[in-house]
Amino acid sequence: MAMRELVTGGAACAVPGSSSSSSNPLGALANAFMGSSSKTQERLREIPTSTTIPSDGSAYVGNGEPLSVLPGSELDHPPQLNAQGSAFLEGFHSADQNRLADVWDEIQRPQVNFPLEHTQLQPDMHGPPQRVLSSFLHSFVNSSHGVPFRPASLPVLGLSEGDKRCIRDRSSIMARHFFADKSEDFINAQVNALLSSLEIDNDIRARGPVPGRFRELEEYWNESQGMRHGPNPADGWVAEFAQHPIGHRDPSTWVQSFEQEHGANGWASEFEHEHAQLASMDHMRGATVSNLAAMEQTRMLANTLAQNNDPKFQNSKFFQFVSKMSRGEITIEDNQIKPATLSAPGDWATEYQQQYSGGQTWADQFVHEELSKGPSGWVNEFAAERGHVDDEWVNEFSKLHVNDWAEEFGHQVAEGAFGDSSADNWANAYDEYLNEQTALKQQSESSHGVYVFSDLNPYVGHPNPLKEGQELFRKGLLSEAVLALEAEVLKNPDNAEGWRLLGIAHAENDDDQQAIAAMMRAQEADPTNLEVLLALGVSHTNELEQAAALKYLYSWLRHHPKYGTVVPPDQLDSLYYADVASYFNDAARMSPDDADVHIVLGVLYNLSREYDKAIESFQTALKLKPRDYSLWNKLGATQANSVQSADAILAYQQALDLKPNYVRAWANMGISYANQGLYEESIRYYVRALSMNPKADNAWQYLRISLSCASRNDMLEACDSRSLDVLQKEFPL
Amino acid sequence: MSSDKKSAQLKSDALMDQMKLHLTTDAGKALTKKIGLVYQLNIAPKKLGFNEESYVVDLKKGEVKKGRYEEGKPDATFSFTDDDLIKIASGKMNPQIAFMRGAMKIKGSISAAQKFTPDIFPKPAKM
Repeated sequence: MAMRELVTGGAACAVPGSSSSSSNPLGALANAFMGSSSKTQERLREIPTSTTIPSDGSAYVGNGEPLSVLPGSELDHPPQLNAQGSAFLEGFHSADQNRLADVWDEIQRPQVNFPLEHTQLQPDMHGPPQRVLSSFLHSFVNSSHGVPFRPASLPVLGLSEGDKRCIRDRSSIMARHFFADKSEDFINAQVNALLSSLEIDNDIRARGPVPGRFRELEEYWNESQGMRHGPNPADGWVAEFAQHPIGHRDPSTWVQSFEQEHGANGWASEFEHEHAQLASMDHMRGATVSNLAAMEQTRMLANTLAQNNDPKFQNSKFFQFVSKMSRGEITIEDNQIKPATLSAPGDWATEYQQQYSGGQTWADQFVHEELSKGPSGWVNEFAAERGHVDDEWVNEFSKLHVNDWAEEFGHQVAEGAFGDSSADNWANAYDEYLNEQTALKQQSESSHGVYVFSDLNPYVGHPNPLKEGQELFRKGLLSEAVLALEAEVLKNPDNAEGWRLLGIAHAENDDDQQAIAAMMRAQEADPTNLEVLLALGVSHTNELEQAAALKYLYSWLRHHPKYGTVVPPDQLDSLYYADVASYFNDAARMSPDDADVHIVLGVLYNLSREYDKAIESFQTALKLKPRDYSLWNKLGATQANSVQSADAILAYQQALDLKPNYVRAWANMGISYANQGLYEESIRYYVRALSMNPKADNAWQYLRISLSCASRNDMLEACDSRSLDVLQKEFPL
Repeated sequence: MSSDKKSAQLKSDALMDQMKLHLTTDAGKALTKKIGLVYQLNIAPKKLGFNEESYVVDLKKGEVKKGRYEEGKPDATFSFTDDDLIKIASGKMNPQIAFMRGAMKIKGSISAAQKFTPDIFPKPAKM
């Protein structure tokens, strides 16, 4: 069960057999106003907390965790925008006569500002009731950290029914956080121990409206609170109320004080300010479920990340990105970042004003309802306003269980599980993502088998680009050869040889996607070309596309003038690896001196990951064709994949001696070193490969991995910006 | 390897086989020592969550096994599609981005999940 649902009393929350189900509105309300919205702060409560009690009872003043600004938020929220929060607070205070609220203040206050010497592990049973209750609850909190919780007999605390209900509900929720890995019985036992000590009847049932309805409200809260600047403005409100204790039980006083400060129009402008968030919710409602999932996840991430105090991180592009995504301002579809289409600003606010004939009336009505129904009434109304759609939305959403990870992420960030580098990690992840975006369009086309031509090709218009391409290929200038051959196939799209050599050049240049795309064009032009079929088989094997690879290797045999007869025709639709392998073995027995059969057989054994047999086949072929550099590379790659890295490096070296500009062999060298954990060495080989073909995306990705494994994060930027000159200077071979 | 395989199988099968071998090398043993966690991977051929095949990558014992983890709870369980796992393992896709896009689902400890990075996978050499 997602933790979030436990907190919010979501649909999945009704714990069977548990009399203290957590689906209570007060819990949700408390959540909404307390935690400066964020899950993280809730989490902080789980860290053993110091128990300094401020004498004036205004625990929030200045003690709130300095909430960091969310960059990228154009929705600047001045403090009054949390007026509704104060309304919740008001309700809460009036219900609890401050005592409980203060206790909660104290429990949730971040410990960072206080030395740990005050940490109390055992309840302090002395002092005023407030203090007793506080330390008692602390002992409950601490019990999640291995300090056994002991029921204790407490002095009479004079808790009101409201207090009791609150404690009961909150503690049952919290217990499920603390003891997430424990059984339901254990949790209930813990809660019951607490409750019986406090003489709270666990059977009191105070059920709010349908669970799950408050989810959107809470999200709304989380969002608005997540975007605050500077010290927690909600704390400011609490402070304000703390200074006017009389006002706590008189809503009209509260409204007056609000108006004194902000004028009656404050309400209206507030709604306009917050419109964007609501619009984003509207958007969410209309959006696809998967977008909702992503948005929900990022929203929670954003809230969590907002708690990170590292200014570097706060200003990172990544953080802005997550913030925006979390508000639905951008979405990701098919790997493209898109701005979300929001309804025109003002609509919602206007509608709202019309409905309530202006801000003042709304405030009046709010006060009225506040008096008649209490805070949950307002919540009900809000939920009702949003209509049934929300219920559906919530239901649909809760099926996705997307919350788990972000929830836990926040939780574990709060516990410092990551160490200092996590912010960097995330920021880097975003940077990487941006790079991904730039390369993606090309990739997605070529990965669908569409050949992607270079933009500015100096060989277009060349009188004989094929000849030029062949010449360049022979000289080993692969990237140049690619350009010339592209010019050729642009000129003669049906030239199989042009496409074939283009495909070979790409493969040697370590670009299998382009190689496959070119080879498929070659095969279109010449369906039975054996070299093309073998090349396609090899490329698909490299890409782990086994079915496709098997098809081409079978076709190779099928169309071979000598071996075509050993193969029953037209089996393409029902190919079994074992059959194909046996045909090839037949062929190899027929002509043991045909290097090509052994080569294809070697590829086939790679496909089935019978590496020893594959190595044997390639070695046999090499005896017949010792100067075939691509064969040496095939042997090396097979040895590498069967973790004979040292042998592999020798084979690659043979290939490179025969063809020094063989990018694939250089990249494979890097892979072998990396797989042996020799990251520094691997970097040099990757850089070498990339200096010959900066378009070898795989090598860039592997280089990035090696750089971080070699703790060369200082060079990641050069890698991400593809600054080869920097990298070559730093990592000469 | 069995030799009676039908042609339709996961790309990740190859990756997992290679991982199994990799964990027997010195580098693989160092990895096991460094990570010390158990991951379960639920790999869907096409659509996330459907027809999943599970692998346990046990970086405590240095083993890769097909099937679900039966010796307790894995430190983290991942669900993704076959293609996305390959992308993650080859560094084409960042796991965090995959998660944000909803392409990867995670259960379990996040600090464990955080260590699920491309560098735990061996890189396939290309022929």
